[in-house]
Amino acid sequence: MTALVIVLALVVALLAVLVAGLLRSNADVLRALHDLGVSLDPDHDHTDASPRGADPVSGQTRPGVAAPRRASDDDGPANLTGRTPTGGLAKISVVDNQSLTLIAFLSSGCLTCAGFWEAFGDDDIGQALGSGLTSSDIVIVTKGPESESESSVRSLAPAGVRTIMSSDAWLDYNVPVSPYFILVDGTAGRIVGEGAGATWDQVANLLRQALADAGLNARAKATRAARASGDTREANVDNELRRAGIEPGDPSLYPTGGGSSD
Amino acid sequence: MSDQLSAHGVSLVLPKGWDVEFMNEAAKDLSNARPGEGGEVQPENPLVVHAGNFRLPPGRGDFGSGAVEMMGGGGVLVCLLEYGRESAETELFRRHSLPSELTPEMFQLHTLQRTIRGQSGTQIFCSEAGRAFCLYVVLGNHKRRNTLVPVANEVVASISVT
Repeated sequence: MTALVIVLALVVALLAVLVAGLLRSNADVLRALHDLGVSLDPDHDHTDASPRGADPVSGQTRPGVAAPRRASDDDGPANLTGRTPTGGLAKISVVDNQSLTLIAFLSSGCLTCAGFWEAFGDDDIGQALGSGLTSSDIVIVTKGPESESESSVRSLAPAGVRTIMSSDAWLDYNVPVSPYFILVDGTAGRIVGEGAGATWDQVANLLRQALADAGLNARAKATRAARASGDTREANVDNELRRAGIEPGDPSLYPTGGGSSD
Repeated sequence: MSDQLSAHGVSLVLPKGWDVEFMNEAAKDLSNARPGEGGEVQPENPLVVHAGNFRLPPGRGDFGSGAVEMMGGGGVLVCLLEYGRESAETELFRRHSLPSELTPEMFQLHTLQRTIRGQSGTQIFCSEAGRAFCLYVVLGNHKRRNTLVPVANEVVASISVT
């Protein structure tokens, strides 16, 4: 009998310890949620604009993993100004125009970037996105000459894609790693997709998804179609005129003379 | 909001939405150089500036070939090409200073490096600050010159040479 009482007492004590532990754990969870700005109180006014109200969940990624962009970090896309690898100066308007722009942040030294430098040398690079982007809509941005070898960038820069060197652009876009890719809708003045990838195929897939999510695929394709139809029309007209023995610049094309009238 | 950009002794103010690139002859020659052969670009080398109110494509010719084919009817391309200093004040470049304003009457359908239907251009040779320049401006649609020339003038009037 005595033994049974002792055993029961031990069980009750053990259960008490377990319950105390659970209560403490629950309190820790509630405290952590409260610190994150999450309240489970049904009477809590969720419209209350606490300092974290706009960004209720924050956390840290593992070391070496880029943190996701927070709304408060995003002041909108910026235009690109920097040195060209050939010693010139360039400004590329990314916002305030009607274009989509894919900004590829690369460096001359990183091994992963090597595949992208090579991929951008492909004439059909824009078509890989299947979204109407052309090589003119892609801009490679390295850090400035103070951080990058100008001659190395010059040797890597593909002829068919514009390349500029601008550390300011890396700061403006809060670029966490290289390679890193940001897709900007110049019409809306916003970033519609961004991310990193080990290969161009991965990045192209990411960007295709971003374009689809943003509902921009149709517009980009329409833009491409408009460009193509204009070029096609011009080529057709040129061919017809040539068959008729009329070359570009032929005076018969300008019957009003001097070309100053409509 | 406008941006002022300067390089190689030429500065201009760029309206919103415009692209610009300053290039010089040495820089272009260096594009085929092997790594390590970079070297400093000499500021006295002839300069080429392209400014457009549309996305400038890569691989353009000095007079904008490669870009004029892509510009729409509302497009404006301003090219400033420098010639050797020995050309300054010669007969072709006898005009002093770049124009501060262009007029629609200055644009002709035939004044194009590459004739493209509907486009028109103007070309002005001059000397300024001991340097010889050609200002070459292309309009995407000649019929819209009355509205496009003031757009071009926003950039042309801002160009200064030292």
